[in-house]
Amino acid sequence: MLQYLVKRVLLMIPTILGVAVVIFVLMRMLPGDIVEMRLAGEGSYVQQETIDKERAKLGLDKPMWVQFTDYMWGLARLDFGYSMWTGRPVSYEIGVRFGLSLQIAIMSTVIAVLLAIPLGTIAALKQDTWVDYAVRIFSIAGLATPSFWLGIMIILAFLIVFQWTPPMVYTPIWVDPWANLSQLIWPALATGYRYSAVATRMTRSAVLEVLREDYIRTARAKGLWQQLVLKRHALKNAMLPVITVIGLEFAFLMGGLVVTEQVFNLNGIGKLFVDAVTQYDYTLVQGLVMIVATVFVLTNFVVDVLYAWLDPRIRYR
Amino acid sequence: MSSQPYDLALAAAAEPTRLRQWVDAALKFSREKPLGAAGAVIVVIMILAAVLADFIAPYNPVATDYGAMLAAPSADHWLGTDEFGRDVLTRIIYGARTALLVGFSAAFIGATLGLVIGVASAFFSGWIDLVIQRIVDVFISFPLIILALAVVAALGTGTDRVILAILIPMIPRAARICRSGALAIREMPYVDAARAAGFRDRRIILRHMVPNVIAAYLIVLTSFLGQAILLEASLSFLGLGVQEPTPAWGLMLHGGASQYAESAPWMAIYPGIAITLAVFGFNLFGDSLRDALDPRLKTQ
Repeated sequence: MLQYLVKRVLLMIPTILGVAVVIFVLMRMLPGDIVEMRLAGEGSYVQQETIDKERAKLGLDKPMWVQFTDYMWGLARLDFGYSMWTGRPVSYEIGVRFGLSLQIAIMSTVIAVLLAIPLGTIAALKQDTWVDYAVRIFSIAGLATPSFWLGIMIILAFLIVFQWTPPMVYTPIWVDPWANLSQLIWPALATGYRYSAVATRMTRSAVLEVLREDYIRTARAKGLWQQLVLKRHALKNAMLPVITVIGLEFAFLMGGLVVTEQVFNLNGIGKLFVDAVTQYDYTLVQGLVMIVATVFVLTNFVVDVLYAWLDPRIRYR
Repeated sequence: MSSQPYDLALAAAAEPTRLRQWVDAALKFSREKPLGAAGAVIVVIMILAAVLADFIAPYNPVATDYGAMLAAPSADHWLGTDEFGRDVLTRIIYGARTALLVGFSAAFIGATLGLVIGVASAFFSGWIDLVIQRIVDVFISFPLIILALAVVAALGTGTDRVILAILIPMIPRAARICRSGALAIREMPYVDAARAAGFRDRRIILRHMVPNVIAAYLIVLTSFLGQAILLEASLSFLGLGVQEPTPAWGLMLHGGASQYAESAPWMAIYPGIAITLAVFGFNLFGDSLRDALDPRLKTQ
């Protein structure tokens, strides 16, 4: 297991380095440079002096390799530079918003798991009946419904039916849990539906596959109670791929939050990202992409380790 | 020159049977996969709407009518109008054109480039494969929309840039899937036989390997179509995709739709239904196609 862990950690390093290189190259692919784009984006005339000053501040007047070394050294110290918009450190801007996004992500995961595992299992047990079809349509619809539109519809429904809108001001959970939950449950639901769709499909196919195994037939043949067969033999084995999918999708949640936070006007990482792109705040975009990709790589790592821990066959391969 | 009439005659003779084969295949498909056929119907309706938009749309999609701002659905405007008095139904019909243009170009180019890279990676193996796979690893580490937004940040907005922003993150995903398909085929006896027969690399790749990866390619392509349409809608909704006044479903939900949600809910409801139906149709069709083409890759 230790050997596997070390191997897996070592594999992660080139990926994260590669991500950093891609971002560095992408942000220097702009016509002109980020300072020109940023200042031109404001639409007013800018003096050459201002441009030069801003360039010097960001170190863009230095040769490319110096810029690259500075950038990589900064990343190593978790220093992402300063936002071109607010002037505050990028790590600060991200830090104050991270908790909110993480909370929605966790709540969406809980919703997804609570929906997916029962629905997927029942669809597999009643394969090719109307129950199965209903679950499959529900999950395919989940993949097709844009989460931002679902969010708008949720708000609209409350507005028309109850003349009530979810609170717009964010309350941290430790201040007032009830106000916090009544605000965040809706974006979590809008994001979680899509998430649950992916997990439901995986649960269904995993349970179907396991039910065809010899050991299930053996368990049934020796007269075991059906529910026990299901719980001890089928579900336990079917959960492996489901855990993987849930883990992988968790990493994708950051992407889903980009649009949902916009709809519910929540000041999280996703909204920060959209604002950064809209305001040509390249240092902030750079830092955010780096963070999201790193979270993604780390989540994949955790999923792999979990998988290897649950299924010994993996780590001995 | 001398063989041409003969070829033509042969082709003419083969034509009806080939058509019959297609019709038979389509009928068999709809009998065995009713959900897939339903998806195909939605896709066909969408394509027809996009192609015939000029003839079937009741109004001009960009013409403003300040006498009919935020008009509720009525006989004149079946799905109402937006804050500029533009007909919502008309903009949804023309929006199919934008969605299909972006969806098809992004999915097709992305999947095809991925196919070429994936099969080449598997065929040449060794260090070329290793390098390509590490690069693919890096690009897969960005969630789809995050990489797309980063590309938008670098290149700017507009229909052509959106296509680029969507297809770039799709290439590595297609390459990964096509490579794993091609790896299995590389070990097949018929590829060895082709090699033993002295065929060149190019012929082996194009004639023997690519046709057998086509199933994987088509599956990737159809699943990308739905995703590309959804991604375009998301980017446009954020104001970072297709720009006004181009009619696009996501863009119709940007700004006015939330602002007037209470007084003019039709502005928010119908474009969303269009997106959902379109993606639903492509996904249903793609899923069934996957089952039909490759039973080993059963629907998850």
